[in-house]
Amino acid sequence: MFKETLQKFFKIDRRWIFLLLAITLFVPIIKPIGLPNKTISPATRRVHENLDKLPAGSFVMFSLDYDPSTRPELHPMATALLRHAFAKNLRVGVVTYIAGSTGLIEEIFAKVPKEYNKVDGVDYVILPYQPNVVAVLTQMSSDLYGIYTKDRNGTPIADMPVMKGIRNYKDMSFVVSVTGTALLDYWVAYVGDKYGVPVAGGVTAISQPGYGPYLQTNQLKGLIGGMKGAAEYESLIKQPGKGTSGIDALNLAHLLVLALILTSNIILLYVKYF
Amino acid sequence: MIKNKAFPLIVLMLFAAGGAFAAKPAPAPAAITGLTAADMPYDVGNAAILRWPVDPAAAADTVYVVYSSSQPAAGWIETDRFAAAARTGKDIELPFWAWDGTAAEHAVKVELNNIFGEGVPGSVFQFKVSAVKGKLVIAESLPVSVTPVGNWFRLDRLNNLVLLIGLIVIFFWAVSHAKRKGLFIRRIAGLDAIDEAIGRATEMGKPIFYVPGIGGMSSISTIASAFILGEVSKKVAQYDSQIKVPHYDPIVMTVCKEVVKQSYMEAGRPDSYRDDLNFFVSQDQFSYAASVDGMISREKPAACFYMGYFMAESLLLAEVGATSGAIQIAGTDVEHQLPFFFTACDYTLIGEELYAAGAYLSKEPMLLSALKVQDFGKLVVMVSVFFGMILVALGAKLGWTGFVQGILHLFKGY
Amino acid sequence: MKFIKKQIPLIIVMVVGVLTLVSYYVPNKVSVDYIETMNKWENIVVAFAFLLGLISLFFSHYNKIKRKGDGWGYSLFVFVGFLAMVLPAYFSHGKQMTDAGLTPLGWSFKFIYNALSGTMFAVLAFYIVSTAYRSFRIKSMQAFVLFVAAFILILGKVPLGQIIWDGVLGWTGAGVNDVIEWIMQFPAVAGKRGIMIGISIGAIVTSLKIIFGIEKQYMGKD
Repeated sequence: MFKETLQKFFKIDRRWIFLLLAITLFVPIIKPIGLPNKTISPATRRVHENLDKLPAGSFVMFSLDYDPSTRPELHPMATALLRHAFAKNLRVGVVTYIAGSTGLIEEIFAKVPKEYNKVDGVDYVILPYQPNVVAVLTQMSSDLYGIYTKDRNGTPIADMPVMKGIRNYKDMSFVVSVTGTALLDYWVAYVGDKYGVPVAGGVTAISQPGYGPYLQTNQLKGLIGGMKGAAEYESLIKQPGKGTSGIDALNLAHLLVLALILTSNIILLYVKYF
Repeated sequence: MIKNKAFPLIVLMLFAAGGAFAAKPAPAPAAITGLTAADMPYDVGNAAILRWPVDPAAAADTVYVVYSSSQPAAGWIETDRFAAAARTGKDIELPFWAWDGTAAEHAVKVELNNIFGEGVPGSVFQFKVSAVKGKLVIAESLPVSVTPVGNWFRLDRLNNLVLLIGLIVIFFWAVSHAKRKGLFIRRIAGLDAIDEAIGRATEMGKPIFYVPGIGGMSSISTIASAFILGEVSKKVAQYDSQIKVPHYDPIVMTVCKEVVKQSYMEAGRPDSYRDDLNFFVSQDQFSYAASVDGMISREKPAACFYMGYFMAESLLLAEVGATSGAIQIAGTDVEHQLPFFFTACDYTLIGEELYAAGAYLSKEPMLLSALKVQDFGKLVVMVSVFFGMILVALGAKLGWTGFVQGILHLFKGY
Repeated sequence: MKFIKKQIPLIIVMVVGVLTLVSYYVPNKVSVDYIETMNKWENIVVAFAFLLGLISLFFSHYNKIKRKGDGWGYSLFVFVGFLAMVLPAYFSHGKQMTDAGLTPLGWSFKFIYNALSGTMFAVLAFYIVSTAYRSFRIKSMQAFVLFVAAFILILGKVPLGQIIWDGVLGWTGAGVNDVIEWIMQFPAVAGKRGIMIGISIGAIVTSLKIIFGIEKQYMGKD
């Protein structure tokens, strides 16, 4: 009898699990508990160190390619990275190959540059969306003005102070690709490996394990993974934001998954052996 | 009167001053000898390489400054600056067969297009080098000149080329010997299950969904997916079942239309073919996933195929398919999406199996024999990894630095 | 006809394929220019493909509405959704933000697209949890190894898990992060490398098959 009940529990309608997860996530989002974020992963630290050691005035290219779907994970990451870049007085260039990310880029730049008194065209430039990423990445190796002549508002970029002395990858000190797609692979293969520009990445937690080999061979100079990575970066630059506040929900959801896996396996063992 | 007396005095003073300066002359800069400038090999013609012997007596705080100019002996621009111990021939990142660099000489690559912009190849450039200590120039070279030219072969990529030629030779050998005798291929369960899935769909009178993923036509997995679609739709046509192919990329859609049409003709059922079997949905990842999910949950297909390039939508699609009770066969070369397909699908093709699927299903000898080339490639990798590991470990243990470096060069991409 | 439909495309594939391959070994300006031209062409062709997709989308849904086929109501939303994004984009000249604040396009982006897209990705979390519950079962030795690795990884990913680890297994002296680092650095990377190498070789051979016209199913068989 007991076994049968267990069996039933085994084949529970998945919607109950959905509900359980919804409740688990709902509570900490509405009322954060403030669980501590103890450790910082070495990969995140490497991104921070690499960006931190650049001399003021270096040009850093940000490839922000994520749409609203991956926003909760990647938006805090991009914001923290840009805050760091502006705080270090680096020159910032932004490119994107996902049409849906243009609005999110606007959102960051409506807020963050003001905190550091940075001016469009002088301290940063936002280049327009381009559809064919491989073609653009290849073109930028020789002359980026062959593809980008104007910024996203139609202002010519050639005379902008921010673009002074910037022609191709050799003039860029660092590339950071924040993406929920495979674009980071392109940056590594077509830019980092070929032209020796240091490339770092920020990706969703789901695709994070896939970049292990690149990190090991130093083809990636650091990786920020998921909301936890964003929270880590925020704590490195000492500016807690959306990433940090999401940690509670993340904590509980992970533990729920563990509890579920354990439960299902305990039931399995019981049904099998008792 | 005073003026008259003052004038000779001033002149005298000036002379005296001049004499005083002349009495303590600054040491004339020594000469840096042996500076040569050459065209940087294996490039598009935008760089030059300067070489001169390392001065073993140079103090640690001595700095070399490189100047370049596009005019004869004028218009010098500071190009590079580095400590006297740095930048030897060993630091140039080229393999041993393409570059002969020693630690006894400095080698500096000068990227001229960064300084002089366009039009570098074919123009004459002047270079000189001075050694500086603090603010004092202690040594200087005579100017040398060079005309950078575009080269025609990347000798540094020779290792890559040799491997490629090896593969091509084996490839043609395998293909031309294709028909001689049958070739053994291990069974791929996922592909054998295709028949079963289509049969089930026919019995149930429900459609089959074929999802080609979110890759463009340049992605190998999408191309492989188009091959499989050809074979699947041929069987669908034979059984008179129904197939639906929702698309993410318009170009892939156009190609797949052609593929499906051809398959229907080959199966002798051109009358059953409709142009809207392939249809475009959205070029936004999650709109695409949402839309296909909607179709799957409304139409409850008998079978779902997910073949091609997938990202985060893999589980979104496969899980909904599993809920709707369809037989599911997936295949992708995106390793980190494989776990999702494994858990939610009945059969999953891993990377190469997906590439091999076209050959496996069509049983065309030419295609099948190309699989041999893949095996040969893997053999090369396995042998290289095995011996490379032993040789490098041995070399490191015995201190054969040059030997280890050489082996590492052989397997490096430039 | 067959010549135009078969031979010419195959010749184009072969010539362009070989030239692109050769350009990898030729550093001369000629090859650089060739690659640049190809890139520009590709960009233009891709832009036209957008149009192609749009036309196909409209025709298939227009037909569905005309035929009053199953679920034709959903097809109406294709047009409604399209207009809801395109009209504001047209009137705001493609800009999402001006000095005056959000433009209509910015509004549609922020409050329609943002929300819909976010919802879809969020569903993934629910699916992952339920899949984990249903399929993560120890039925074999391999599954057990996988289970242990996954358990440690999930535990170590969150601070609360780290606290639990330190409390229960702190005496071993191995921090959960060291264990995770080891798992990710060695077994995981080794496995992934194997798959990557296999896939890369497969990709090379498939490319050769296409360049030399042995695999030509993608343009319909002869």
